[in-house]
Amino acid sequence: MAEMAEPDRVTAPAIDTRETIIASDDLGMVFAAGSVVALEEVNFEIKQGDFISLIGPSGCGKSTLLRIVAGLLTPTGGTLSVKGDQVTGPRPDIGMMFQKPTLLPWKSVMENVMLPKTLGGRVTKADKEEAVALLQLVGLEGFEFSFPGQLSGGMQQRVALARLLNTGAEILLLDEPFGALDEFTRERLNVELLRIQREVKATILFVTHNIQEAVFLADEVFVMTPRPGRLTEIVNVDLRRPREIAMTKNPDFNQRVFEVRDILGGTI
Amino acid sequence: MSTQGTPSSSDTTDAQIGFPHWAQHLLVFTIFIAIWEMSVQFNWVSALILPSPFAVVVAWWDLAISRGIIWGHFFTTLTEVLVGFIVGASFGIGVAILSAINMTFRRLVSPYMVALQVTPRIAIAPIIVAWLGFGMEPKMAIAAIICFFPMFINALTGLMQVDHESLEMFESMRATKWQIFRHLQLPGALPVIMAGFKTGISLALIGAIVGEFVSASEGIGVLIQRFSFQLLLPEAFASLIMLTAMGLLLYGLATFADRHIVFWRHADLVNKISRRMRAKNAGLTGIKPHA
Repeated sequence: MAEMAEPDRVTAPAIDTRETIIASDDLGMVFAAGSVVALEEVNFEIKQGDFISLIGPSGCGKSTLLRIVAGLLTPTGGTLSVKGDQVTGPRPDIGMMFQKPTLLPWKSVMENVMLPKTLGGRVTKADKEEAVALLQLVGLEGFEFSFPGQLSGGMQQRVALARLLNTGAEILLLDEPFGALDEFTRERLNVELLRIQREVKATILFVTHNIQEAVFLADEVFVMTPRPGRLTEIVNVDLRRPREIAMTKNPDFNQRVFEVRDILGGTI
Repeated sequence: MSTQGTPSSSDTTDAQIGFPHWAQHLLVFTIFIAIWEMSVQFNWVSALILPSPFAVVVAWWDLAISRGIIWGHFFTTLTEVLVGFIVGASFGIGVAILSAINMTFRRLVSPYMVALQVTPRIAIAPIIVAWLGFGMEPKMAIAAIICFFPMFINALTGLMQVDHESLEMFESMRATKWQIFRHLQLPGALPVIMAGFKTGISLALIGAIVGEFVSASEGIGVLIQRFSFQLLLPEAFASLIMLTAMGLLLYGLATFADRHIVFWRHADLVNKISRRMRAKNAGLTGIKPHA
């Protein structure tokens, strides 16, 4: 209870000396020979170690933006740079995770987690031990030699997260990773995701259309609006970390949720 | 163009009250045989047209056991089917792989694939016999041609149905085209390819028999034709039963291969493999009990 009484706001914000890791400059994306404007004039900077939630209604271009950062799509206008270099294709320091676990059902959990190493060349004993450690990190100790078909949806996403971490990427792009899971599993995984981010010190870009989830996880919520896809506003979530589920009862938390909802309100 | 057969899935069980399944099957079979026997015994049907089950068994005993002359024909046909199937399936899957990885190739071969599909492939049998003579080769060739198409179309369908997000996942890991094919596309296509096996192997049997009908001196098809011409219908039926047995054997082989190659679709096999892997790697993780 003593913990609850403490103010949840971070009081004196220190001067931010961390370097910018992702920068978007007038980013634009036009599909189908000019008929669909998916993104227009998107500008932002993301600092190393930040957790960014990307929220907006369907068709606002949030998945497109994520795929441009991943190097899977080439923007039709503006530039997107990571660590000062313009992104021209998939990079080893950027990894991605999807709403579907995209596990290979014919490979064991271990083999799935080791996929990035398998693609990179020979798998060593050290790689195996690392995979075991990563599975421990995501709470799947003892399921190393299960197959995806034997696991629940939440557990499958944990495997996908372990596989993502095994790429060694420091920028993690998550496209509605827990969107298909039930509310309880989603809440638990959100808390664990924050713990894992603290441990591996990753920069995370998290796409969601759940406002509570977006605010709960993020340092900053990027609010996007559709037709054309724009980054309308950035909501700063300067709430104390580490965060627990109890924080969702906090007025400061709810104020941020309302703020995001108000911005989206005009568009939905 | 649709795929042949359905990919195998987890086995389902249906609870049944009363007789066990095998007893029900036995009962139906006995009634069927009894009616057949009676219809001949009481002359409802002439024995010249429909031999009695008893006469068929006697004929089979004579052909398979007393004189044992049927086995040479049996293995001739079986060899034709197996070689034909392996050749046809290899070509079918091979062309499908080339079509899946190269758009230009797919565009160029697709009219011929459609032509092959709409032509009754059995009609090519006399031409093949004219080319390859009267031995086993033309039958193998006909079997191969007949089972080529379902193998091709199933393999192509399987290879083309790659999950988009899985593909993006591989791309984000900077996988090469070959790695994507080897780790995602090919294993992902296996359930559909293996479903095609079951259809393909039955078609190969049809192909071999058609080849034997056109012209041959050996094989079960030859026996059936010869016995029928001589109105030795019990012997013809006995030969037909050997073909049914061969068909079942081949289908069983295909099902066995399917189960073990597409093991992840079968809960019992997955559990077994998972347990085995866990035991083998106990040193890596420490032994932990988990279902």
